[in-house]
Formats: sequence, C-alpha cells, structure tokens
Amino acid sequence: MSISFRLLIAALIIFILAPIVVVVFASFSATGVAEFPPSEWSTKWYPHALSQRLFTESAVTSAWLALVSTSIGVPFALGAALVLVRTRFPGRDAIQTFLLTPLIVPSIVIGLSILLAFSAAGIREVPMRLIGAHVLVTFPYLVRTIMASLTRIDRSVEEAALTLGAGHFMTFWKITVPLIRPGIIAGMLFAFIVSFDNVSVSLFLTNVKLNTLPLAILNYVEYNYDPSVAAISTMLIAFSLLAAVVLERLVGLRRVVGG
Amino acid sequence: MLSLRSRVLLMAPAIIVVTALLVLPLGYLIRTSFFIGEAGMPPQGGATIANYAKLFSDTFYIRILGKTLWLSFLVTVVATIIGYPLANFMWRVSKKWRGILTIIVMSPLLVSIVVSSYGWLVILGSTGIINNSLIWLGIVEIPLKIMFTDIAIVIGLTHIVLPFMVLSILAALERIDPVLAEAAKTLGANDLRTAWFVTLPLALPGFLAGTTIVFSLAVSAYVTPAVLGASGPNFITTLIFQQFVSLFNWPLGAAIAAMLLVVAIGIVFLYVRLFSRLGGPAVHAQNVAARA
Repeated sequence: MSISFRLLIAALIIFILAPIVVVVFASFSATGVAEFPPSEWSTKWYPHALSQRLFTESAVTSAWLALVSTSIGVPFALGAALVLVRTRFPGRDAIQTFLLTPLIVPSIVIGLSILLAFSAAGIREVPMRLIGAHVLVTFPYLVRTIMASLTRIDRSVEEAALTLGAGHFMTFWKITVPLIRPGIIAGMLFAFIVSFDNVSVSLFLTNVKLNTLPLAILNYVEYNYDPSVAAISTMLIAFSLLAAVVLERLVGLRRVVGG
Repeated sequence: MLSLRSRVLLMAPAIIVVTALLVLPLGYLIRTSFFIGEAGMPPQGGATIANYAKLFSDTFYIRILGKTLWLSFLVTVVATIIGYPLANFMWRVSKKWRGILTIIVMSPLLVSIVVSSYGWLVILGSTGIINNSLIWLGIVEIPLKIMFTDIAIVIGLTHIVLPFMVLSILAALERIDPVLAEAAKTLGANDLRTAWFVTLPLALPGFLAGTTIVFSLAVSAYVTPAVLGASGPNFITTLIFQQFVSLFNWPLGAAIAAMLLVVAIGIVFLYVRLFSRLGGPAVHAQNVAARA
C-alpha cells in the first residue's frame, strides 16, 4: 500500500476520532470554556458535573428506561427469533422485514406518532410513553442479534437432549438458552446503548420533571459552554468504549449492527 | 420442529408489539395530518388536505424540504468518497487490525450523538481548533463562520453516517474472490488501477446499500442540524419540532412528518425494488463480476 494511501487513511481516522478526542481533552480544561488543547489543566469539572441534579437525575432516568425497555423486549424478540430461524413458511420474510421496520422509520416520526397516539388513547404518563417508544426502537436490534446467535448454534446438542428424554421446554431452557446467552447479552447491551443515547424519539415524550440524559445535555449546551458537559460526555465515552470491547468479544460488533 | 400452535404463540406477541407501537401510531399520525390545523390550537377533527396544500405552495416549506434533500445528497456523496478508501483499507489489513479499525470506524455510532455534536462545537466554533489554527497560521484574520452553517451540518452528518457506508462496502468487498485482484496485479495493473477498475465495480452492491442507508439516515437526522446548524428551522426535522413544540400546530407538523416518512421509506423501497428487478444482490454482483 502506497504512502499517500496510508496518509489518506490516517487523515480519515483523525476525522472520525476528532470530536470524541476533543471532548475528552476539553473536560480537563481549567478555564470556564471548553477548549482544545486546554491552556490549564484541572479535573474540577467532574465533581462539578456530578453535583448537578440536572445530569444525575436524568442519567438515572435514562438508565432505568434503557434497562426496562430492553428487558421487556427480550422475551418477545426471543419468541419471534425462534420461529424465524427454525421454520420456513410463506410470508416468513415479510414478517422478518415487518419486525425490523422500526429501523427504517425516522425516529423523530416514531416519537411523534407515539405522542399523538398515546395522547388520543388517554395515556399521558411520561414513563409509559417513553417505555413504549424505547421498546419499539430497541426491538429490531434484539431480534437481529438473537436470530444471529440462534443461527450459529449446533442443533445436534439439542437433538441429543431430546433423544435422552428431555422435554421440549426442558431442552430449550437447559440447552438452547445457555447456548445463545452471549447473543442475548450482546443484543441487550447494544439495545441499552441505543436507548440510553436516544434523542429523537424521546424529544417529544419527556417533560420538565422527567428528562433523559442526552436531552438534558442538549438543553444545557444551548445556554452554557462550560466543560461540565465535556466531563459528562467523557464518562459516556468511557462507557461506550467498554461496551464496544465487550460486544466485539461476545459476538463481534459488526454482527450487532448488521454490517 | 415447532408445531403450528407454538409457532403462532411465539410469533404473535412480537407482531402485536410492533403493530401497537408502530403501525397504529403511524396510522394515527397520518390521520392527524388531515385534521384542521391552527397554530396554538388543539387539533380539531374533520378531514382536509389544507396542511399538505400549504406545504407544497408555501416557498418557506419547499425551501427547507429542498435544502434537506440537497444537504443529505451532499452527505451521501462525501460519505461514499471517503467511505470507499476506508473500507478498502480495512479489507486488506490483517484480521487483528480489522478488529481495531472496526471499533474506530463504529465509534460515531457507539458514542452518543449529543457528545460528538458537542465535540464539533469545540472544533468548528469561532474560538475552536480550526479557527485558532487558521488565525495562528495567519491565513485568516477574523474567525471563519463554520459553526451554525450548512457546512457544519454536512460535516457532522457525514461523521455520523460514515460507519454505515464503510460497513456496507466492506461487507460487499468481503464477498469478492481475492483471486480477481491478484489476477489484475499479475497482468500489470497497479494498486490504484486495481482498486478502481476491479474492486470498485465488484463492490457495487455495497455502495448501493450504503448510499440508501446513508441518505435515509441523513434526511431523518435531528440532533446534528439542531446543534450545528443555524438557529430556527433549517432542516425538515427541526421544522417538525418547531411546528409541534413552539407553534403547537400538530396537524401541520404531522403532515411534514408524514412527508419525511414517505421520503425515508421511499428511498429504501426504491432500492429493494431496483435490486429485485436486477435479480437480487447476489445475481447482480455476479453480473458485474462477469463484465469486469
């Protein structure tokens, strides 16, 4: 590979990493303005950010929302994935496409339609609306990762269990589920990130009392330019990096995204 | 083998969930777009096409829609141009490096979009890295206005959608028989010629998939235009937000959202139709390979 090609790749990698790296550096700035590179270094923005209830409360909201939505989706996704992977019937592809549609519908449209429909149905509680919307947007990722892990397991182990007298339910619970557990965990982890980072779906569904972390950050940067957002962001980056490594180890990152 | 009864029992809940949370709400959104809309008023019943008529007659809305499509097109072009060298590089390096590069390339997806938008703010702002360096180098005297312009939107959006482009092209490259590139080299083609005349045409299905996903994602992006673009409605999504949150004109907002839905899904539908006409991606790839 030629030198110029390698230089081009290096430049593109800088482009990809630039906004992320800059945020990490800016979080250690001692001045009141996020700058790169910082003229003076300090870690004071971390305690400052963590002392603001705006961030801590919304982080808790985002975490439970992601956990609840992802957990609700798993049994539904598991059932659907079992049928889609193990049986062939007319309309199977259509059903699979249908379950993955939330991926191609713009998330801002999903958020709006949930707002309108839930309001019309008399459901005005913010947590209900948020959970409904987040179950929907995380669902395709769960279906896809669980399908991928079901496809790859060795069926003969299950057949052996059945031959040895285990019932269908016993075989599923003791053999199939443990075999696909890494796939389920990876799917849940990625779905958790998708939910936790989501902005466009939650945009119309939160209120002043109950906000998610990304929306709180978005509101904050509208009026403030201090590095406390950079500190919060750096913590999020650390979490994402950790999740990326775990996902890569468990099933491979590209399989989760469907590349 | 699963019995018919257990198949239905396993499948039905998932279908019900997606129907209840997606199909019915979308239906109601479209219904709302035909309500009589008045800024600041609760949506009233009735059936009117006035909201759509307004969208297609008022130049204010046409301009924003046109700008959204134009900027999304630019993003798709830029992402294609820089996505191919990256995918080509990842395809040629060792498995270990490919893993590391996958994490790097996918990082815009894994890191919250709010975080990377904030990063662009620090880079592109009037006291940001770019302007400070340009001033320090003496190239400009007053800071360039990059932040809060369309250029900032294109930069930010390209960054977000790039992973999908790279991974689509890479998936297509991985299906190519490596012997073909070797043959080209044996016959005297250099790296660049091989990449341009042999690998590129073979990876065409990946490009088509990538451009489809990228364009569809770009038109429906909200955070990037909201944070990096000029204030006020500058994109179809920020226009929807304004109609709903600032002007409380739900029916008009619903009509714009319905239009966005048609554009975003339409492009994916078009791609699927185009491919089935060509005989599916696999057959298509073989056709291209035969001609190359």
